Amino acid sequence: MTPLIPYPVVDLGPLMKGLVIGGLGIFHVFIAQFAIGGGMLLAYLQWLDMRGQCVHGRRFIDGYFRVLVLISFVVGAVTGVAMWFTSIQISPQTIGVMVGEFHWVWATEWSFFCLEVVAGYLFYRYGSRLPDRTRLSLLVLYAFAAWMSLFWINGILTWQLTPGAWLESRYVWDGFFNPGFWPSLIFRTITSAATASLAACVLINAVPAFSREEKAKLIGVCARPLIFMLAMPLLGVWYFATMPADSRGWATGGSVPMTMFLTMAVGCSLLVGLYAVVAILRQRLFINGATSTLLLALAFVATAGGEFVREGVRKPFTVRQYLYSNAIPPDAVADLRRRGCTTDDPYPLRDAEAYPTPQLKLGAKAFRVQCSVCHTLEGVNAVPELAAHWSIDQKRLNIAQLQRTKPFMPPFAGTPEELEAIVQLVTWVEAGRPPQWQPSNDPAVRQQIARWLDEAGTGPGYELAAAAAAELAAAGSPLR
Amino acid sequence: MSLPFPFGFPAATQLYLVLLVATLLVHMIFMHYVLAGTAYLACGRLFGRQRAADCGWQQRLADWLPFATGLAITAGVAPLLFLQILYQREFYTANLLLSHRWMAILPVLLVCFYLLYLQKSSWISRRAWGWRVVVTWLAFAGFGFIAWSWTENHLLSLDQQAWAALYAAGELRYATAGLLPRLAAWFLLAFPTLAIELFWQGWLVGEPLDRPAAESSRVLGLAPVQRLAVMGLAGLLGGTVALIAYAITLPVETRAAVTGPLGGWWLLALGLGFCLQAAVWGLALRAGRLGRPLAGLLTAGWLLGLAGLLAVREVIRLEAVDLEALLPQHERAAGIGGLPVFLIFATLSVAAISWSVAAVRRGLVSG
Repeated sequence: MTPLIPYPVVDLGPLMKGLVIGGLGIFHVFIAQFAIGGGMLLAYLQWLDMRGQCVHGRRFIDGYFRVLVLISFVVGAVTGVAMWFTSIQISPQTIGVMVGEFHWVWATEWSFFCLEVVAGYLFYRYGSRLPDRTRLSLLVLYAFAAWMSLFWINGILTWQLTPGAWLESRYVWDGFFNPGFWPSLIFRTITSAATASLAACVLINAVPAFSREEKAKLIGVCARPLIFMLAMPLLGVWYFATMPADSRGWATGGSVPMTMFLTMAVGCSLLVGLYAVVAILRQRLFINGATSTLLLALAFVATAGGEFVREGVRKPFTVRQYLYSNAIPPDAVADLRRRGCTTDDPYPLRDAEAYPTPQLKLGAKAFRVQCSVCHTLEGVNAVPELAAHWSIDQKRLNIAQLQRTKPFMPPFAGTPEELEAIVQLVTWVEAGRPPQWQPSNDPAVRQQIARWLDEAGTGPGYELAAAAAAELAAAGSPLR
Repeated sequence: MSLPFPFGFPAATQLYLVLLVATLLVHMIFMHYVLAGTAYLACGRLFGRQRAADCGWQQRLADWLPFATGLAITAGVAPLLFLQILYQREFYTANLLLSHRWMAILPVLLVCFYLLYLQKSSWISRRAWGWRVVVTWLAFAGFGFIAWSWTENHLLSLDQQAWAALYAAGELRYATAGLLPRLAAWFLLAFPTLAIELFWQGWLVGEPLDRPAAESSRVLGLAPVQRLAVMGLAGLLGGTVALIAYAITLPVETRAAVTGPLGGWWLLALGLGFCLQAAVWGLALRAGRLGRPLAGLLTAGWLLGLAGLLAVREVIRLEAVDLEALLPQHERAAGIGGLPVFLIFATLSVAAISWSVAAVRRGLVSG
């Protein structure tokens, strides 16, 4: 069985932890894409410049690279480290597994990160004094290293949703080259190229020394990589095809927020792609600073939507079939139902005196372990609000059979006493946290909860749904 | 443990310990440059524009600190990775206990990074000198905060007994007797590193210090190499005092491990390294110049001292953690594939980095 390490749980107050890591992740991904695509675009521009096919190319490359260093090398580097640290704050078990399983992959990525920084800084510092061939070599090295860092990290991120053969073999390369690896890598490469092109259009407009004609020529060249966006729909379909059916279901109507995020990502990408191909590349329209900024903003929204979908469709897992979203391994659920999820937790409550009964204190501890990674008590995605209209027995049933109630939820992993304590806690909060609260000690209630827990089992909701469907199919019509 | 660190531990633990110490040493090269360099620059800025113009070290630091910060962050990723393999529970718990206060190092780092760019920008050169003073001191204060936070985090990760009570108190702050001396030791020992780095940086850009300095390059009557020698000697002396103060705060058993077979040889290496550096800096201070052979000896002493310091640091940690509980995790990590791939790509990356540097040097000459 996977060992469970009890960690102190961070309280972010009314903030939902997923939003914190999601928000930072989106920002970091966008900056990283800018750096990766920027490298490729600048190498291309340098090559064109050497062939005499890009007027003012050299001057623009130096200016663009300065922005790249000031944004990507500073914010990108710091937010990269911040992703690790924030992941530890949100779910130490998850990042612990990711680091443990792929530490040589992270280390390999780091070696390219070093190359990227050195090649980049050399170009930033000496590029304007170097001959063309050396400039091109440095830019190609920089672009290659930046793209390789995407290559390595992409394998780890896609593994979370589609671990593939790794689940059986536990072989690192089975996990790395998982079913989602290639479509995601190509998709992200094109996204990076598009982001850098749009950023270039913004920058070209920001240079007052360029005449309108010069700007138009440079935009025409820098916008060329946007043509690859035409391949995005196909790649998206390929990526979707590699997803587990239930995850695909969340994004295509099964979960309203996920479907909305997907629509947002697809819609914005479509707008950018259409404008780029039809207006910029085909009709050669001039785009001014405002338009290019708007297009870049749309690209950011598309990235945000896509990243939210990628994070969201993993539910009820954080690593598919290996770690539930509350960082409890599937093979530990049965044991926790016997021993309790709070039994080995050495950390006391910070506000123990705020809870009038021991049962509510137990509920607060169980909530901290099982629910707090996605839910709050009084804030974003608050359980008392979600369950406000449920009767007390409905709460017991719905939490006991959580994976049936909402199939993107993990199964409850605690004793009937802990479950009843959570029900009482939620009801107490709904009631406005009164100073007196009657404990619920009815053995019949606990027995009923135990029966419900046994009925639901310890597997995820989609397995229950598949089993039920198979049963119905075997029995013939459900009406019979 | 009857064998010196890292021998005597299981092979998997040895591997990760060596990698942690080796990569941390590389990180120290840049981190010391940034920490001590910002402090040097901040102090130097107090003496006004003319003195700053006379001091070549200030100009060099102002120019190179942003790049060094980028390298320090990049080089810091690798030890952070191996730290998570070796002491995951301890490191993560300390992170979580210090929570928002710990996470504050990230925005502070971001701000400091930009301040270092700002202090060398043309924008600030057009403004009153006071702006540079403020900007450099802000950057130094930020790096000081980050250094303090890391020290706090490290010491908390070793103090398992304090975890539950600290969590219950919700203070997000950990104070212990060893905090200040340990922080002082790391801060002061960054100066000998900076002194050596500035020496070699001068040599690399064609400004060697192996002959008597021109009068115009003297500040407070000291030649450039003498200023480095004073910096190196002061750092070594102060750092040694702080290390002794820190050692006094350690439990008796931990001190016994440091002076015993596990850490004793490394303690000796640390002492030898410090003595060697002090001797060479003493000679340079008297002579007012420093040639390459002596500088090589100085660098060897620095390397020996830093390696000894980092090994002793791990010995102290290994005494504090429940190593038996961690061993299966190390064993499991070592069994996961990927090491050959890392070695191949790391070698290629090092080759590509070396080639880039050489190509730029060639390009600058031909250009």
